[in-house]
Amino acid sequence: MPARTRSTTNGGATEDRYRQRWRWDSVAWGSHCVDCYPSNCPHRVYVRDGKVVREEQAGTFPTIERDVPDMNPAGCQKGAMWSQMLYGQERVLYPLKRVGARGSGKWRRVSWNEALTDIADKLIDAIQEVGPESIIRIGEPAEGGTQALICGGAIVGRLGGITTDVQAEINDFSPGLYVTYGKFDPAASVDDWFHSELVLIWHCNPIYTNIPWYHFVAEARYNGGEVALIAPDYSPSALHADIFAPVRVGTDAALALGMCQFLIQEGLYHAGFVKEQTDLSLLVQLDNQRFLRAKDVDGGRDDQFYWFDTKTQRIVEAPRGTLALGNVDPALEGEFQATLADGSKVRVTPVFALLRKLLDRHYTPEKASKICGVHPDVMRRIARTAARKRTRILMGWNSGKYYHGDLMERSMALFLALTGNWGKKGTGARSWAVGMFEGMFSTLAKPKAGPEAARQVFEMQDQMMAVLKAEDPTMTDEIAVAEAGYRGARMGGMVPAVFFWYYHCGYRERWNKKEWNDPSMKRPFDDYIREGIERGWWEGFRTPDEKTPPQVIFEIGSNVLRRSRGGQDIMVRNLWPNLKLIVTMDWRMNTTGLYSDYILPTSQHYEKTNFCYTTPHVMNLTLSDRAVAPLGQAMSEWQITLALAKKIEQRAKARKFLEYQTRGMAIRLDNVYDTLTKDGALADDDRLMDEMVRDSAIAGVLPRGTNLETLRKKGFVRFINWGLSSMALAQASDLRSDEAHAPFRWHTEKKLPFPTLTRRAQFYIDHDWFLEAGEELPVHKETPKQGGDYPFVLTSGHPRWSIHSMNMTNRIILETHRGHPFMSMNPKDARARGIEDDEEVRVYNDVSSIQIAVKISALVRPGQLIIYNGWEPYQFRQWKGAENVEPGMVKWLHLAGGYGHLRYRGIHWQPVPIDRAIHLDVEKIRPKSKAKAAAKAGRRRQR
Amino acid sequence: MPARRSGTAPLKQVAMVFDLNKCMGCQTCSVGCKVLWTQEEGEDYQWWCSVNTMPGRGYPKDWEGMGGGARQDGRALAGRLPSRAEFGGGWQYNYEEVYTSKEHIPLRPIDGNGTTQWGPNWDEDEGGGRWPNSYFFYLPRLCNHCTRPVCLEACPRGAMYKRPKDGIVLRDEDECRGYRFCMEACPYKKIYFNLARQVSQQCILCFPRLERGVAPACARQCPGRLVFVGYVDDEDGPINQLVYRWRVALPLHPEYGTGPNIFYIPPLAPYRLNADGSLDESTPRIPMQELEQLFGPQVGRALATLKREIAKKRRGEASELMDTLIAYHWNELLGPWTRDPATIRWLRPEASSRGSARRAQPEGR
Repeated sequence: MPARTRSTTNGGATEDRYRQRWRWDSVAWGSHCVDCYPSNCPHRVYVRDGKVVREEQAGTFPTIERDVPDMNPAGCQKGAMWSQMLYGQERVLYPLKRVGARGSGKWRRVSWNEALTDIADKLIDAIQEVGPESIIRIGEPAEGGTQALICGGAIVGRLGGITTDVQAEINDFSPGLYVTYGKFDPAASVDDWFHSELVLIWHCNPIYTNIPWYHFVAEARYNGGEVALIAPDYSPSALHADIFAPVRVGTDAALALGMCQFLIQEGLYHAGFVKEQTDLSLLVQLDNQRFLRAKDVDGGRDDQFYWFDTKTQRIVEAPRGTLALGNVDPALEGEFQATLADGSKVRVTPVFALLRKLLDRHYTPEKASKICGVHPDVMRRIARTAARKRTRILMGWNSGKYYHGDLMERSMALFLALTGNWGKKGTGARSWAVGMFEGMFSTLAKPKAGPEAARQVFEMQDQMMAVLKAEDPTMTDEIAVAEAGYRGARMGGMVPAVFFWYYHCGYRERWNKKEWNDPSMKRPFDDYIREGIERGWWEGFRTPDEKTPPQVIFEIGSNVLRRSRGGQDIMVRNLWPNLKLIVTMDWRMNTTGLYSDYILPTSQHYEKTNFCYTTPHVMNLTLSDRAVAPLGQAMSEWQITLALAKKIEQRAKARKFLEYQTRGMAIRLDNVYDTLTKDGALADDDRLMDEMVRDSAIAGVLPRGTNLETLRKKGFVRFINWGLSSMALAQASDLRSDEAHAPFRWHTEKKLPFPTLTRRAQFYIDHDWFLEAGEELPVHKETPKQGGDYPFVLTSGHPRWSIHSMNMTNRIILETHRGHPFMSMNPKDARARGIEDDEEVRVYNDVSSIQIAVKISALVRPGQLIIYNGWEPYQFRQWKGAENVEPGMVKWLHLAGGYGHLRYRGIHWQPVPIDRAIHLDVEKIRPKSKAKAAAKAGRRRQR
Repeated sequence: MPARRSGTAPLKQVAMVFDLNKCMGCQTCSVGCKVLWTQEEGEDYQWWCSVNTMPGRGYPKDWEGMGGGARQDGRALAGRLPSRAEFGGGWQYNYEEVYTSKEHIPLRPIDGNGTTQWGPNWDEDEGGGRWPNSYFFYLPRLCNHCTRPVCLEACPRGAMYKRPKDGIVLRDEDECRGYRFCMEACPYKKIYFNLARQVSQQCILCFPRLERGVAPACARQCPGRLVFVGYVDDEDGPINQLVYRWRVALPLHPEYGTGPNIFYIPPLAPYRLNADGSLDESTPRIPMQELEQLFGPQVGRALATLKREIAKKRRGEASELMDTLIAYHWNELLGPWTRDPATIRWLRPEASSRGSARRAQPEGR
């Protein structure tokens, strides 16, 4: 065959034209600080003729650990097209003021001066008329960068307003991990995934949600590891697994407990690990089901617990300051007699014995299989492998969104305990953590700019730690920081969102609906709320209380109407009418913006200096630099903050309202700008960011000499130390420069205790409410029929195509799927209802109904529906998004408090809303016969 | 199938291997390509690189049934020309209408001649089989830069050529008259017609990047680390090893006869489940005949090799093949094109549009 070849070296003009397309004038570091988590993918941003033309992953990560793949080229399709969203039609470029009714689409372009003057006046009105706690910032990961985060604190926090807890707002909590470990947030660095010999992808869909890092799973498999997917549907993450365990929706606890029973039955469990690391060796009184405590034995501490030492045949104190067994060999089985302080005798037994009885009674693999639908042999096979191999449960934040997700996670943690699978490479559970970037917290807390002030702040922190440790010398750094979190929570201005929703957003009625709640619940929801309040567990956190009507909502990229369980139906109906001011700050038109009074345009990534949230998953501080000037009149969050600060000062002075008190603090309005900028020193974005980096170096978390300039050379820098943030210390492992990070090694290697009541991984919770619920040990309970008695369950999950709703409306991303919202449905189910592919149907339950197109997919389980999250409500008819059919229930038990680690501190223990396994039905919008008749009628009319 | 080295064959041939056992269907390759190459007029709907869920109808819709390819004697077979609607995509949306809508009109593509009923990834994650024995995998596709390019053969204008230095198949767009014989002939349907400029276009294998030592966007941007790129003739390179030594990388539809230079490591899948839910370790989840249809009769052997080598690792033994596929260092995937593009400093002023004048030279090479 004559293959034609050109003699011209460069193929003529065509080749040159293509060469011209791949050219640029300048390059900057960029990233997408969007809290996609773990994010921190360093990119290069290419600029031509003053416009960002494209971006590309930097690919400059070094190898961290020998024989472990590097992290290049971290990125995903959203990152690869972010530049297109700078210039997309969804971008907001000018301050907009609503001129019609809220949500009526009538806008007027106004100047920053006009917008900020009005906003400042309304903020002052709210403070004067109701009080500062009527100003609410919806807790958010914000747009996801340092700038947006500090901006919320700097405006709303500075005025004494309230921030609802982000953990409740977005519900990425892992409540069962928290109950077990006293922390919810083990977060191995992604390269540690490579060390796993068995990966259980469970409540996670990393093929969608961990695009930059999934390769470590695939590579672990090539390295000899096995991968199992545990999910109701043949989810996209089944793709590169060896085993698919199709668990019935909401029965994961039964599956885990079935495997646990097998491990104990066969003697495959790691007894030494269990005795040392967990409370399964602690003694419980058989008569009242409470732990045996020093308070009972000799009037001592309420949090001193006991073992039975098989060597000396005596009941001895289990040390609070260490996990090390010393010379003791605690019994895991048997009944013993203890003498109480009053001389009476009680029978006691280790938790393990109670657990064993429970498992044998209800959760043999055969019995568990009847509940969860996974074959007993599959359970035994996974359990046997896990008992021998380094096993990781690759969890996302799906389980925590189930009504009984706490029970699922406690059962999964039990499985890890019995197989000895935490605190070493390649093992453990997984949630999320941020931290280490000390400057992000401390720089604005300093009295003035400069290194000296930073040193003072860090010295004060050290002193606080010393005071706490003096109180109880068994406290580790981790425990002391957690304790400071509990004690300081009432001063922080962050509150659990549950009371805000209950008093002000219309959830009270729903939460009291008996038929949507857990049938095992003994009393009405209101009863538990009342008791929780009366027992003082939530004192100081009920702001704004029932007597304080919220006046102002400040939205910084959180898009509350998109993601609230219950959708805009419940928020717009109940909360909106009382609000005097709704401000949305964003770079794009989101649904909340469309229902707001003002939309303030923020600059985008590549238009400002910013840092991504820092996390042990990646372990770097990642710079997103200003490659181009902001488009239109957009401003960085920091500049908006300062402009508003000035305006507040100006209006306060004009109105002679200069000082007020709230929650024991005196707040002055005549120096807002100066206190924020440290007398102007940090007014510039770059100066602020530089100061945060330098302060972090002073804190010892970044290498000495790190500053904004050094970051501009390398784009990112690896942390060298944890600092004192709670989620960083919760990792409980040394941070090493040449090793992947595996959490909990301090517990297994240094025997440091856990931050729980019992100082051990705690599977037995003897809180009276847990006993009332029958959940003192992990058990399986059926998911309640939230939404009513309907045949389908909606499971949902994060999408592949968007970070939250940010990318979902961009036309390039839209073209990578069907371009409109859809619901995935099993072919048989669709056929039974005469539904065709891409047909729009009505999806309904007792809460509400929506319209959505069906995607018929062989991957979906019969009876299951999937609507991946992230669609903007304005992509649906009547702008009614999928969240409208979610009742937004919370599990009553999570109102329990006053018990060791079951107390509120920011981003930790609290009720979070549920949105998985919502009951629904699906119907054709027009049955076929009727549609045909209507069509005929139409034709007749036309004639 | 050794690389052809006839007198007219290129001196070297760039080739790629896509490891489907690492692919996530994330579309980063497609989007990276889209943003770089197809943003100009008439290119809206063009996705030179696309990833589809298999089994599926793909992009353009049902492309596998459209014919084309090479006859025994190497001449082009005319297939069917895919219609604009069969490609779909290129959607524009009613943003303005939504943002000012009192009636709460939803965001929807503005229909242009039936192009909203299909798109580059319309049948994403639909798959085949019956739950719980559903099955699917992702298949990234781009121009195969074939050894026997029938597009070139079919072009009456002689506008197409295969570059001698690297075997990339290109088109002189100044010579192209938009007859679209190339589109008919291409059995992979990876050629697009630019309605605005009335010329055909296709993947150029990022030759401007290769010329500067930088790997193609789809390879370099792949977060799954599954795209190997290199000269197939480089006997020590991973491509040659995977294609010829291990024989685990196979061309797509070898029976089309065009000698594609994009190869695929075929997909493994989880065990099937028996009716009672226990594992069926004997029957593959993805029916073998479906894989054979795509990758030819060698696919069973390739899968057996993969399984054998994974088993070695599981027993704690070494496996050179697995270590190659793990690619401990990302650069191992990128062949001779490991340069960080940000290190390129273009000299100003820019070369004129005819390119024959002062061509920009990168510094420090």
